Parts: sequence; C-alpha cells; structure tokens
Amino acid sequence: MSDQRRICAFVVLLGTACGGSSSGLGHNIIATPTDNVAEVVVDSGLPEVRNLNGLFATVTVCVPGTSECQTIEHVLVDTGSTGLRLISSALTLSLPAWTDDNGLALAECGQFVSGFTWGSLRSADFRIAGEQVNDLPIQIIGDAAFPVPNDCTGSNVGTTADLGANGILGLDTSLQDCGSDCTAAPGARSLNPGMYYACSSTKVGDCQAAAVPVAKQVPNPIALFGQDNNGIIVELSGIPAGGSPLVNGALVFGIDTRENNKLSGVTLLRLDGYGTFMTSYSGLSNPALGFADTGSNGIYFLGSATTGIPTCVDARYQFISDFYCPRNTINLSARNQDALGMVTVNVGFSIANAEALFSSLNVAFNNLGGPSSAPSSDPNGMGTYFDWGLPFYFGRNVFTAIEGQSTPAGVGPFLAF
Amino acid sequence: MQNIRSALTPFRRLSVLGALFALFLCARPARAALGGDASSVGTGQTHLLASARIVSAATHTMHELAAPTGTKVHEYVGNDGKVFAVSWQGAFRPNLRDLLGSYYETYLNAAGSRMVRGPLNIVLPGLVIHMSGHQRAFYGRAYLPDRVPQGLSTDEIR
Repeated sequence: MSDQRRICAFVVLLGTACGGSSSGLGHNIIATPTDNVAEVVVDSGLPEVRNLNGLFATVTVCVPGTSECQTIEHVLVDTGSTGLRLISSALTLSLPAWTDDNGLALAECGQFVSGFTWGSLRSADFRIAGEQVNDLPIQIIGDAAFPVPNDCTGSNVGTTADLGANGILGLDTSLQDCGSDCTAAPGARSLNPGMYYACSSTKVGDCQAAAVPVAKQVPNPIALFGQDNNGIIVELSGIPAGGSPLVNGALVFGIDTRENNKLSGVTLLRLDGYGTFMTSYSGLSNPALGFADTGSNGIYFLGSATTGIPTCVDARYQFISDFYCPRNTINLSARNQDALGMVTVNVGFSIANAEALFSSLNVAFNNLGGPSSAPSSDPNGMGTYFDWGLPFYFGRNVFTAIEGQSTPAGVGPFLAF
Repeated sequence: MQNIRSALTPFRRLSVLGALFALFLCARPARAALGGDASSVGTGQTHLLASARIVSAATHTMHELAAPTGTKVHEYVGNDGKVFAVSWQGAFRPNLRDLLGSYYETYLNAAGSRMVRGPLNIVLPGLVIHMSGHQRAFYGRAYLPDRVPQGLSTDEIR
C-alpha cells in the first residue's frame, strides 16, 4: 500500500471528501484462514444448478449444547440480508424449535427481492472458522412444518433448486432482519409488517402474525460473536475480463480488531438505516439508492432507455431481460456518495456482453450487469436502486460495519473499500 | 377526507340509485388491485393504507398511500377509474396478492420459472413488473402497458 493511500484513508476517517477512481484491478491481499477468517469460494455451486457469481461459505450448525453437528457447504454469503437460513433438505440434524414467550413455535416469512422464504425458526449452535454463537435462531426454509400463510406473498424460494444454494448466510448491516417494527402487536393498523408467525398447530390458519421481541428475532450472527463482532470484510481476488471458473477468497470477521482486519487504505461511506448510499450515473440529475450486495450476481442499474445499453435476448425467457448485452465491453463509472453527503468516490466498472460471457465455462465475472427498475428517482422519495452486486467485489477488500457496533472509525453502519 | 372524495369520482356520472348500488358493491372487501376499480383504493390491504397525497394530471390521478410500516404505495388511476399501474417502496414489501390482484398468478408463473439473484424484470405482452432493492429496502412497480393512457410516459410511473 502506498503512502498516498494511507493519507487518503486518514482524511476519510475525519469525514472529509476523498475523491478518486477505483477500478478493482485486483492488487488486494487476501487473508489466510485463521480463527477469524473463513474461506469463501465463487464456483458453479450445487450440482443441480449452475451458479453465476455465487459466493459461498461453509458453516457448521450443532444441536445446542451437544457435539451433534453438521457442516454445510455452499451457503450463499449475502451482504444484502440478515441472518442464517438453511434449506430444510440440506439439514440432517434435528434442531429444537425456537419459541415465543408463550411456548409457541415461531416461523417466518423472510422477504427477499426474488421472493419469500417460509419456514420454522430453530435454535442451533453456529460455528464458522473459529467463531461461534450458541443458541442462535435460524430459519429452516421449506421445512413443511407449517403451511405458507396467505399474507406471505411473492415467489416461494423454498428449495435448493430455487435458491441455487444450501442456505443463505445474511451478513448485511442490520442487527436483526426486522427490528423494532416486529415488536408491535400485529394488526391492520400496526407497524408490525407481519414477518414473524406464532404457530399453535400444523393446520392451515394456525400460524398467526406475532409480535417478537428484538432479542428473539433472526439476527446477524456476526454481532453475537464474543469477539470480532462489529462487521466483516469480503476479500476476493481480481479476475480476467473473460471471467474465471473458480475464485477463492476470504470472509474476515471483525473490523480493526486484529492485525488481519485493519481499516486502512480505504474510502469509508456511511450508510443510512436501510444500508444504502447514493450512486450517481453519468449525467443523471437524480442519484439512485446504491447498495453493495454479494447476493446479487451482477451490477444492476437503470435501464436500456437511460443507459443506451441493449439487454440480451434470451430465447428461454422471451419476455424477460435480465442482463445487458452490449456489442463490445464498455467501461463506465459512477459516483458514490455517503448518506451524509460528505464523502464521494468514483467507481469504475465494465459491462460485457452477457451472452458471450455465458458461452464460456466460467462462472465468475467482474463485468456482468443488467437493468434495474427503469425509471429515474422521484424527488418525492420513490427511487430506483443501483445494485453493486458481486462483480464490484472482485479485486477489492470490502468492509461492512454493522449498525450500532463500534469500530475505530466510528459506529456502523458503513461500507469501506 | 381527500381519499373519500376521489374514491367517488368514477361514479359522478351515475344516477343516485346507481351510485348507491356502486357504494353497496364497494362495501364488500374489494381490493385496490392492478386492473381493478379505483373506488377501493387503500382498502382490502392486509395493512390499511392511508391516503397521503393525491396528484391529478390530465391523463390520470396518482394516489400516494402509506402503510403503517412506512411503506409507500402509488396507485395510478386512469380517467376510466381503473388502476393501470402500482408501485411501492419501503422496508417491507406490501402484500403482492392484494396489490397485483388478478395479475398475481401471472406474475408468479413468470417469476417462478427461473432463479433470480438480482432485480426482477418481467415484460409480458400485457404486464410489466420490475422489482429491486434488498431485504429491508424494497422497490417495485407493475403496470398494464395496454392501459397506460396516451401521453403518459411509463417512466412517470414510479
């Protein structure tokens, strides 16, 4: 690391603007596995689904207080959601129910952009690398213990084939997947969005929306570690423009808690309560809401009408355009600004022809992108998202600090890279 | 009160009896769904939606509704009194069955046929749906391209 970058980081920590261009060339150093470092991999994933830009970790869950454990590989590392969720078919252990104060079994309708995850909550001792949380509530997706309630709407992501993984390790900036809203008594005029259900029997209709105290909700497991509990770093090496069949990386726990997770040489973006910052794309007056998400497999932004980049024509899904397909790879840049409007950083990225990328046997791509919802942001608050998915992470060490957790650079949430 | 006044707008040209009959129909738990009547805007939702704002234009009326959870919903009503577009943003997604109405199954069939790990873009001949964001920050919009009034750009639906 150069002295110039050290100075930049120092300035940023004081909250002053530090512009610059970052192209993710891949000179980052990847931490070696140790107590607070888990190996992660971008590979094709489970045999039944060929994953593109899927980031996976291996986790261990145990029946609480026992040595009855199971190690589960290919769990999707997702910095866009909160909590550990395992697909029921991948779990052979019998984990005890997670109950409310009345002893009723709790279940959840987890909300994701691609759909919902329905299933009961169970308790497990959770281990990854040398870190551990005992008696952690996790969701067992699609366990058929309870029927899906009517108010749980969207696509049902209930199987390994639906998800392309054995589970989701949600490591975003939130402490819980709901928070204080879910502690309110449910009802039509309630703050409670109805994500959690208390189930009195397995019959249809016997799971009722429930108020669940924050301490009983599905948490970000990192925040419950005995140490290294203020955030994570995702470290992935840079890859060639044509992609790569396999990328090894590190998931580092803790920010500035050890020698291997120092917060230096990075630009720090403070985030709002929803984990977002502002992203401005060339020439557009209204910025989009930006977020960094390892669980998104591309960089998703704006639409063809705005960017002028054509989408692919996919014969299998005639009416659906998920990816951009420019004739030649194009180099772009967008300006990210923190939630306080004090720090800006330009990020360069490339968009290649997705069909050309997919015609290879590679599964990791740093230039895969597609359209997000088309309209530009509304001055009255409805906005579009600029989704910095996994391509953003290649060649970078990206820090995610959890809300309310202390670091030497201040309290989270923030993103730094 | 604004929402009640506008809810009656489609019935202005009906006779008193007709209006009463229409109100009787509306008294059932009707849904303010895509393609449905505007008269039930804000009702029939799992979470009651309070009208926050109404913006009138030559081609349509936009009802901005707010759920107690803070999620905002926009419903675009054509001059024929039908909802031709809906959009939403907030920490929690609204009930899509309520919001998409008879188009809910079409959406499920289109979305369920593939694995999505990013925004959802569904473009069918009679239905366009976009969804983006992440957990605790959802955005989405759905519209009926054949029913979007002439002179209104779909970029205005947001």
